[in-house]
This record gives sequence, C-alpha cells and structure tokens, in this order.
Amino acid sequence: MRAVWRAARAAVRRRRLQTLVIALVTLTSTGAIVVALGLVDAASAPFDKAFGEQRGPHVVAAFDRSVASDAQLARAARDPGVEAVEGPFPRATVALPRDTAQYGVFGEVTIVGRAEPGGEVDRLDLWAGRWATAPGEVVLNRQSDWTADDLGKRIPVPSGPTLTIVGFAFDLSRTADAWVAPSQIDALHPAATQLLLRFSDASSDTLLRERMGAVTARLPQGALAGSESYLTLKHRIGAAARAYAPYLSAFGILGIVVSVLIVANVVSGAVISGFRHIGILKALGFTPGQVLAVYLVMVTAPAVLGCAAGVFAGNLLAAPFLRFTFTGPDAGVFHDSVGIPPWVNVLALLGMPAVCVLAALAPSLRARRLSAARAISAGTAPRTGRAPGVQRRLAGSRLPRSVSLGVGLPFARPGRSALTVAAVVLGVTTVTFASGLATTMTRFGNAGRDAYQVTVYASTVRHGKLVEPEHSDPELHSLLSSLPGAAGVTARGDVEVTVAGSARKAMLEGRRGDGPELDSVLTEGRWTRRAGEVVAGTAWLRQSGLRVGDEVRLQKGGRSREVTVVGAFMETNGELLATDWATFTALAPEEKPIAYHVKLRDGTDPAAYARAAAAADPGVGPAITGPNTITQTVVGSASALTAMLAVVASLGVFNTVVLNTRDRRRDLGMLKSIGMTPRQVTVMMTTSMAALGALGSVLGVPLGIWGYRQVVPRMVDAVDITLPPYMTDVWHPAALTALALTGIAIAVLGAYLPARRAARLTIAQVLHNE
Amino acid sequence: MSGPRRAPSVLCMVTEDSSGKTVVRLDGVRREYGETTALDGVTLEIRAGEAVAVMGPSGCGKSTLLNMIAGLDRPTAGTVLVHGEDVGRLSEKGLALYRRRRIGMIFQFFNLVDDLSALDNVALAAQLTGTPARPARRRAMELFEELGIADRANAHPAVLSGGERQRVAVARALMNRPALLLADEPTGALDSRAGEQVMDLLLDLNQIGQTLVLVTHDEHLARRCAGRLVTLADGRVTGQHTLEPSA
Ligand SMILES: Nc1ncnc2c1ncn2[C@@H]1O[C@H](COP(=O)(O)OP(=O)(O)OP(=O)(O)O)[C@@H](O)[C@H]1O
Ligand SMILES: [Mg+2]
Repeated sequence: MRAVWRAARAAVRRRRLQTLVIALVTLTSTGAIVVALGLVDAASAPFDKAFGEQRGPHVVAAFDRSVASDAQLARAARDPGVEAVEGPFPRATVALPRDTAQYGVFGEVTIVGRAEPGGEVDRLDLWAGRWATAPGEVVLNRQSDWTADDLGKRIPVPSGPTLTIVGFAFDLSRTADAWVAPSQIDALHPAATQLLLRFSDASSDTLLRERMGAVTARLPQGALAGSESYLTLKHRIGAAARAYAPYLSAFGILGIVVSVLIVANVVSGAVISGFRHIGILKALGFTPGQVLAVYLVMVTAPAVLGCAAGVFAGNLLAAPFLRFTFTGPDAGVFHDSVGIPPWVNVLALLGMPAVCVLAALAPSLRARRLSAARAISAGTAPRTGRAPGVQRRLAGSRLPRSVSLGVGLPFARPGRSALTVAAVVLGVTTVTFASGLATTMTRFGNAGRDAYQVTVYASTVRHGKLVEPEHSDPELHSLLSSLPGAAGVTARGDVEVTVAGSARKAMLEGRRGDGPELDSVLTEGRWTRRAGEVVAGTAWLRQSGLRVGDEVRLQKGGRSREVTVVGAFMETNGELLATDWATFTALAPEEKPIAYHVKLRDGTDPAAYARAAAAADPGVGPAITGPNTITQTVVGSASALTAMLAVVASLGVFNTVVLNTRDRRRDLGMLKSIGMTPRQVTVMMTTSMAALGALGSVLGVPLGIWGYRQVVPRMVDAVDITLPPYMTDVWHPAALTALALTGIAIAVLGAYLPARRAARLTIAQVLHNE
Repeated sequence: MSGPRRAPSVLCMVTEDSSGKTVVRLDGVRREYGETTALDGVTLEIRAGEAVAVMGPSGCGKSTLLNMIAGLDRPTAGTVLVHGEDVGRLSEKGLALYRRRRIGMIFQFFNLVDDLSALDNVALAAQLTGTPARPARRRAMELFEELGIADRANAHPAVLSGGERQRVAVARALMNRPALLLADEPTGALDSRAGEQVMDLLLDLNQIGQTLVLVTHDEHLARRCAGRLVTLADGRVTGQHTLEPSA
C-alpha cells in the first residue's frame, strides 16, 4: 500500500499541470452543478415551496361578525374536509393617513388581531423585532428585503389608538397588512372575522369552492363576506417566474450534463495518457491491482478536492445568484425561500467524485488487463486502422511537411483524438445551445418593452378613498395626448365575457388609440383591422382548442357578437383576448377604459410626464412602467450561466489538448533531433489540434442547434405559449462562425502553449527526461 | 544473411571532405546541470573519415558529449566547432538546419516517432530538407532494402523488434547523407546478433568514408568499428588511443 501511495504521489507531482487542470475542471463543473441544481430546484416550484414552508392557507375567508359568532365559526371549521384551521381572528379595516406611506402602509389597511405568528396555518416569518403582545403595539407585513429601521416608529390611527411598530413579519398570503394583539383589536372596531383554512385536497378552484360550501353551509345565511383562494394568489405571484422556469431548468440540466461529461472526459484522458507509465509500473513489479490503485488515487485525489472546493464555491456563488435571479416586484417573495437545498450539496459531494472514479475506472481497468509490454507501447502505438493510408496521402500532399504531419497525427491515436474531438464537440454544442437559449430569453424578456413608458390609471386612491377623474373618457384621452412628450396614447378596458357553447371564460381587452398592440407580441396572423375581429393570447387559443381563422361567439350579459380570431399573441394567461374598441363596446357599452398607456417621445422624462398628468387631472393615477426587474435578472442569469458553461467547456477542451500535446513531448524532441525547427514543431502540434478543433466545431454547432430545436419548443409549449419566429431565429452565420472559430482557437491555444514550451526545451533535456 | 557485407552503392556518401580535414573541434567544453558537471573541459578533434569510439563508465558524460556535437544541447562554457561553425552560437532554427544537413544520429532507444510508419519515419528526415515526398520515399525504400528491412517498411515502430528499429534509425540517420554520423550506444538495447548486424553496418559505412562518432560500453564493438578510442571519466578526457583494426 505504501508503494501505491508513493507512486501515486510521485505521479501527481510529475503531472502538476494535469493535476491542476483536473482539480480546476472538477471545481468549476461541481460549482456549476450546485448552482444549476439549486436553480432547477428553485425554479421548479417557487411558489409552492414558499407557500408550503409557511403552511399558507388554501382559503382566506372573511365572515360578517354580526351574522356569525366565533363559536359558530369554530364549529363550522370542524368539517372533515378541513385539514387545519387558524382563527377566528377579528379583522378591522382602517384608513391610515397618507404620511404613513413611508412605512409601506396607507389608505385602506387590513389589521388582524392575532395572538402569535406561528400555528397550524399561515406561519408568519417574523424577521425583525417581536410579536405584538400588548395594546399599542403593531407588527407590519413587510418583505425581509426591506429594512427594519422603522422599528419603534408610531402610526396614529384616525379615531383610534396610536400604534408603535414592534416587529416586521412577512406573510406570502397577505392575510393582513398589519397585526395587533387580540387585546388591542376591539379598539379598531373589527367588522369581520377571518378564518385561515387548509384543506386536505386543494388542487383546483372547483374543489376549493365545494369545500368552502360545506363549511359555510353550517353557518347562518350571508355569513361569508368574501374569500380568496391561494390559486389566485399563486397565479398572480408566480406568473413571471413561471414563464422563465423552463428556461432556467433547461440551463440547470444542461449544466449538469455538460459538467459530468467533461469531468468524465478529462479524467479518462488523464488515465489514457498514463498508459506508458502504467507499463513501467508493472515492469517494476506492481500488481495489476496496485496499478489500478495508483491511477485511481492519482486522478481522484485532485478530483475529490476539486469537487469539495466546487461545492463550497457553488454555495458561495449560488446565494447571490439565486437572490439575483429571484428579485423583483413579483419574485421578491421567494427571496428567503430559495437557497441551495441540502440534497443538492449531498448529491454534488457524493455524485461528482463517483463520476470521477467511474470515469477513471473504465480506462484503468483496461490498463490493469494490459500486459506490461503492451501497456508501455499502448500509449504510443497505433494498433491498426487506416492511419498509415491517411498519413501517406497527407505526406504526399503539397502541404508543408509540418502541417501535413500535424494533420496526420490524430489518425495515429484514434482513441485519444476521439476524446479530444468529444471535448470540443461538447464545448461547442453547449455554448451554441446556451447562447441560443440566452438570446431567446433576452428577446422574450425584451418583447414589447418600448411599447409605452407611462400607464395612467383612470382612478386613484386618496386618503383611503377611490377618486375618479374630473374629465370624461374622450377628454382624458385627448388631454393625455396633448401633454408635452406624449407620442401616442392607447386606452385599455377589460371585461369578462363567455364563449358561446363552452364553459370557458375570457378576459376581453378593448384597446383604442395609437398603438393597440401595446406590449403584446404577435406570434401568428395579424392585429385587428376592423370591428368583429379579435387577437387571442396563445394560452387561451391552446386551452380552448382554437386556431387563428376560427370564429367564436362572445357573450356578455344579454349581448353577443360573432368575432373572427385573426391573430395570436404571446401570453401565458389562459384567459386573455384583445379586440378593438368598437367590438368591445358592442358587448359592454357601459365599460370605460381602466387605463391609458402612453408612449413618450425619445428623451422625455417619464416622471415629468407622470407629474404633468396628475396635475392635469387629480383623479388619475399615473405609474411609470419601470424596467422589468425579473426579466432583467433572469436574462442576466442566463448570460452568467452561459459564461459559466463556456468556461467549463473551454477548460475541458484546453485540458484534453494540453495532455495530448504533453504526451508527444518525446516525439517532439525526436523530431527536433532530426532537424525540425522549434517553429515547425509548434506548427505541427498546433495544426494537429486545430484539425481536431475544426472537426469538433463542425459537429458541435449543428448538434447545439439541433438540441435547441428539440428543447425550446417543448419548453415553451409547457407554458402554453408560442414564440414568434424572431425569438427562435437566434443564430446568424457570422455568430456561428465565430463560435466554431472559438472552439478551434481554444484547441489551438491549448496546443500552442505546451507545444511551444516543448519546442523550446533542449532536446537533450526532453530525451533525457523520458 | 541480411546485414550488408560490402559497401553498397546507396549508402555511398558524397564525401566532399577530403580525408584528414578536421570536422569537429571541441575546445574546453563544459556542461553543468545544476550541481552536476557532466562535461568538465573536454578538448577533442575529429577528422573527416575517422571512426572514433568514446568509452567510459556510466554517467561520465558520453551522451552529453555527443549531444554537444549534434547540437542537441549547448555547452555551459567552451566552443564546439563543426565544419568551422560554432554550434553553441547557432539560433534554435540554425541548429535545426545544422542537424538536418550535417548530422545523422542513432540513439540507444531508437527514438523513432511512434505514430509514423517505419518508412515515413525515414522519409520524414529528407522531407524536412525540402525533398518532395515521392523521391524521399524512394530513397528511404532503397535504404531499407540495403539494410534488409524492406518488408517492414509499412510497419509502425511499436511492432518492430529492437534490431529492426535500430536499423530504421540508422536509415533515418543516413537519409540526408550527413557529414557526421553520431551513434549513442547503438547496440545497447539489442541482443548480440542484432548488435552484430548494426555493427557491421557502421563498419561498412565508415569504410566508404562516413565520419563516425560512436559511444559504447562494448570494447569489442569499439575495436571492430573504430580507428581511435577516446576514454572519458568524470566529464574529462582521460586517454586517447589509436586502435588496430581487429580481424
Ligand atoms: N538533461 C540533463 N539534466 C540533468 N542532468 C543531466 C542531464 N543529462 C545528463 N545529466 C547528468 O550528467 C551526467 C552525465 O550524463 P550522461 O548522460 O552524459 O552520461 P553517460 O556517460 O552517457 O552515461 P551512460 O553510459 O549511463 O549513458 C550524469 O550525472 C547525468 O545525470
Ligand atoms: Mg548515455
């Protein structure tokens, strides 16, 4: 055993570069795997995870206090379908003055009297301060990415007590804006009672409605004042993240596959390049088992170290990375719930070294079986094959001899060359695929981005009261158009309609004005040109089994209208249809626009426009459409992942080529001894690797494109959208050529450095050393 | 049977150097490898047409000496003049050209390029000097025939026997009609019969005018092939004797 250890240590020391590269490759790829798995995990069910951790209520129900007593409610909640319940909690609605907006609460605010943040349902994340236990104390519902520096501030409740902020808790389900102790709530005049319910089966809205029906059946008529299902919440919160989840998962899976393959390639390459050494060990009297042990130790020691460091690095990297990915107005709630789950670390720590051992095992076992003499020549001797023929033809060609020699070299060792080509193919495929995916994501994210910069809502809330505009709809439309900086105004109204002959509902948007397409991206057909035409969201079309060109009858109240679907736009919301204003008002004559979307002239300050709009009519609520943070972050993470995969792939190629070149050091010495110049030697090695690089690139680029064409349509299918061609036509010949050239360049660089070093060594040195 | 007995035509050198002219002159050559001094002030002359054997205990610097002459290594001090050219001062490229044109080298462990067939190994040497592939192969084949290994021309070195490999190496060394043939223990890795054949080959070559420097541990080989014996010990020349041609 000591001999094995010594030989392995000596081998590691003699192969510093190889050892370093193995450690680096395993480090980067394990790091990538940890991040990727973390991403897959986080992207798979961000809402469900966060919701599950908080044991969020499936239904938040509010009851009229004057109709149902607490005892009645408690009894009703004992329905067998109810899995767990919290409450009844008294709920008050108070109007807070404008200046409390600095604490994130103002206007109509819901305050619940609750004794503790935990419980069977709706476990709040009390992330700062403490729970409200005495009168005069309040806990605000706030996400933990805010600061907690408002602790101790006071909130005066009009016609009520003054409350001191003692803590901040986050509640994904938004059951309240603030909580006070039960002893305090009466002073706030609660009108309702809240029940937080979890059901044993909560998979659909219909089921939830049935279950709620069973609960309310035991209560006096009219007790239920309102209820909200978690499915609505889930839809609202997860929409943006959900659209990206398949992309992120694809990246994650790609990262895993690539990392495993590259590690396998690098490790088996290292063993194969040691065949000659294996023969010598055997000649020394090492048993086959000992040889196997030497090689496994030699290769797996740095690999295991690399894996361990990679897991560490992956965790370090993943925390900001995931936070970065899941930041933004919608995704912010996942902030605390995403992280690297322990199973990922365990898997990476055990799995990657296992992959390394397995990869080293196959060639090691082969080496074990070889006789010493064969092993000595195995690393060097071409077994059979067409190599001589190819070399002969090349030698006779008009190419400079160093070039034709270089091109011929790979044929002499087909196994080694195949490994090199595989590394390049893998690298080029990965980068092709990943860059395509990243481009698609970027275009997807940027779709409709410049459609408008300000949205002016046709109502606003002031002092907790809804305020209506002073101007009529047509006046408002032209007023907004006439304000400085406006380039176009589009009014939008919406109304729920039904489709004749189907139970499906649809949200019909009427659009009127300069840019009725707004931020919708057409994937098929065209936009409406005349009344009686609609453009449908892709998800609605798919879910109702319709196609562009079909006719449907839309109904609203007693009215109905035959419309033709003339186009489809990218939309994950399964209920959305858009039409022109005439068709809209034909179905719903009373409806007014709920918002006006304003496109500004280049260089106009959106904030200035918003102020001007608010000044022109105090009854409107202008909002600036900021850059979409989740889009930005996801696009950013796609680029980061692409870069990471490119680094791993490049290292893999580089390593294989370096090993391949170092293997030939002795040959290079010999060639120099018969009069090759260092330049010729370098040219020869570089050509040889460039040839392999070119082959790898030529195979890798189409493979990457093929992979993209297989994966991306399925991915977007899964979220019921169709991408317009411009989002999937992501490759340009120039970019692909650049990509292929990069593959070749990496191979050339990997060959050039060690070849030049070998070429510069004194021949006596090289031959002496071998 | 297979080894050539008489000087055959294709091996014939164009011996431009008239016999007796100094081809190699070493002057106070030192070579240090870190702590070890491999050569410690060697002064030596070799004339055209001579066959010089270098002998000495293992590690005394014989290979190092040969490497100096071949331009495979540079002296730490002193000068190595070959055909009046200071080898130690040549650029890397200059050295390569020098080796191509003037030197043929045979190593104890053959040093053939494993990835090329025997024939291509040999032809390669000529191609490096600009000879097109076809004539290079033709000449290589002629050499193979003379050396009795024509039937192994397309084999790769790994499947050749040691003797066959060494003959391929000899063919490669002779390919460019070198002014100087350097052999470092050419029979060291061979059995006595194969060694004998290589020895005969070298002898024949010298008899037709090939200048030869031979490093060996084998006294018999030295006496058989060489006209002069140089002994080295600890990197110094300790003696020079003219040898009587044996049997
Ligand atoms: N490239 C080198 N690097 C370091 N030391 C070297 C190198 N080449 C030779 N030496 C050292 O120089 C000394 C002379 O070596 P050299 O190979 O010339 O001996 P030699 O006479 O040929 O021995 P042998 O008969 O065993 O072949 C030895 O001590 C050797 O270790
Ligand atoms: Mg020696």
